[in-house]
Amino acid sequence: MEFYLPIAEMSINPIGFLILGIIVGTLSGTFGVGGGFLMTPLLIFLGIPPAIAVASEANHIVGSSLSGTIGHLRRKAVDIRMGNVLLAGGILGSFLGIYIFNSLKQVGLVDLLITASYFLFLTAIGIFMLYESLDSLGYFGHKKRSKYYHHSWIMGLPLKIRFRRSGLYISLIPPYIIGFVVGVLSSIMGVGGGFIIIPAMIYILRMPTNVVVGTSLYQIIFITSFVTILHASTNQSVDIILALILLLGGAIGAQIGVRLSGKLNGAWLRIALSILVLAVGLIMASELIIKPDNVIKIISGSNL
Amino acid sequence: MIKKLLIPIFSIFILMGQMPPNIIIDENEKDIRIKPNIAGTEVVLYGAMPSGKKDIIIEVVGPARNISLEEKRSIYGFWLGLGRADYFQVPSYYNIMSSRKLSEIASQSVFDKLRLGVINLPLGNAKISNTKTSQNIFNKNLKKYMLDKGQFKIGENEISVKSGPGKVGIFSTEFLLPSNSYQGKYFVRYFIFQNGEFISYAENKIDLKQAGFSRAIWLTAKNFPLLYGILAVILSGSLGWLISTIFRRLKIS
Repeated sequence: MEFYLPIAEMSINPIGFLILGIIVGTLSGTFGVGGGFLMTPLLIFLGIPPAIAVASEANHIVGSSLSGTIGHLRRKAVDIRMGNVLLAGGILGSFLGIYIFNSLKQVGLVDLLITASYFLFLTAIGIFMLYESLDSLGYFGHKKRSKYYHHSWIMGLPLKIRFRRSGLYISLIPPYIIGFVVGVLSSIMGVGGGFIIIPAMIYILRMPTNVVVGTSLYQIIFITSFVTILHASTNQSVDIILALILLLGGAIGAQIGVRLSGKLNGAWLRIALSILVLAVGLIMASELIIKPDNVIKIISGSNL
Repeated sequence: MIKKLLIPIFSIFILMGQMPPNIIIDENEKDIRIKPNIAGTEVVLYGAMPSGKKDIIIEVVGPARNISLEEKRSIYGFWLGLGRADYFQVPSYYNIMSSRKLSEIASQSVFDKLRLGVINLPLGNAKISNTKTSQNIFNKNLKKYMLDKGQFKIGENEISVKSGPGKVGIFSTEFLLPSNSYQGKYFVRYFIFQNGEFISYAENKIDLKQAGFSRAIWLTAKNFPLLYGILAVILSGSLGWLISTIFRRLKIS
């Protein structure tokens, strides 16, 4: 059975991509991240042109994050006010991201930008998470820091407001900046940004862990919607058929993942995730370093 | 479910000894519609040709399309796609079919004169930027890529010739235009050979119109990009909402 992707202009086996959706969905359900940072590189490995993989993955995350947010809203685990501040920064950031993406696309450097961003962020976050989870298991012998400790410079910033659901009274500026950075990355990397925003919420904003995933997913719906529309209208690279196949598989996987995560130990789960993140980062980097079989390849057949 | 389309080639073969054998074909253009999510449309070409020890080659050339190639270079140990070749006139489909092995029908120099075969297929001028690599090298790579992907095909021995009534031979062949084929005019060229010499030529066209879902999506994305983006978000969001509702219902009951 063959399925034709109208924008990527290639025939694929839908069962294979459905299974890919289920596997990544299971991982994302287990770890509470969107899964975009795994899906986009996998799509590129499978031969989807990087620009189309990025834009279609953003489209896929719209549905998967909406699906996840509904669950978290029912458990009152979404800080909507915090989400809106992150979002305000994110919208501005995604404009900048799309601008960078399109300028580099014109000079043929967009694949390098995507690969390099993945490598840098995945290795940095992978190492940080590995360190943090080993630390929490007592490997480095540090004392546990207070949950409510804030860096003094963050406490000193103006424009403070109350985030009731998170139990915080902090300045608007740090979440706005975090949102902005994630917005830039979403549009360049085709990710929701959960793997960046969740650590930032926990370690910089000191939000309680129970509202972190829900709030992250809530703002991701809007950011990825916005990014999808920007990609579609500026470079016509959103393949809706691909996005919907992945979404279908991902939804099934997420349900499996949520059940799995209840049965596993949190710190070990984070160690597993950090190793996975590092592995994806290194594989992406190897593409840049290993001599390709053929130095000449097709980069686009459609969007000229 | 493959729709068969028959394109008869009305061939009037002149039996009188002096005049060269000729093919006269019907100038009607045929419309083919391609349905989504099927293997494609099977096109059947058949007609009459002079019988005797003659060979036939049929060449099908699809509408032009844009293709870009990139060339990776190693800079400080990193392989970066810096060189670029943009093509604007590459045939989206090419198929050469013959009644015998091409090498048995005529010599390469005969084919070169007729501009027949993958080697002689023109790809148009490419805009080459940021590299010293010549277009010839890009052309070779592009042709190899198109052959690997099945966009260019060589079908030796794929035309069968049977002797018909009198001194007429009936040739027939079929090929598949995949469901992702470009719409537009497909030029079909017929070449008759005898003893290694080219003796007769005819051509006609197939006008391919794509219908269906994939095509509609592609057109919407290109012509109404903003609307397409909004629709993509709405569709993805609704499916996400639907899935979460279904799973919640399943858990309760």
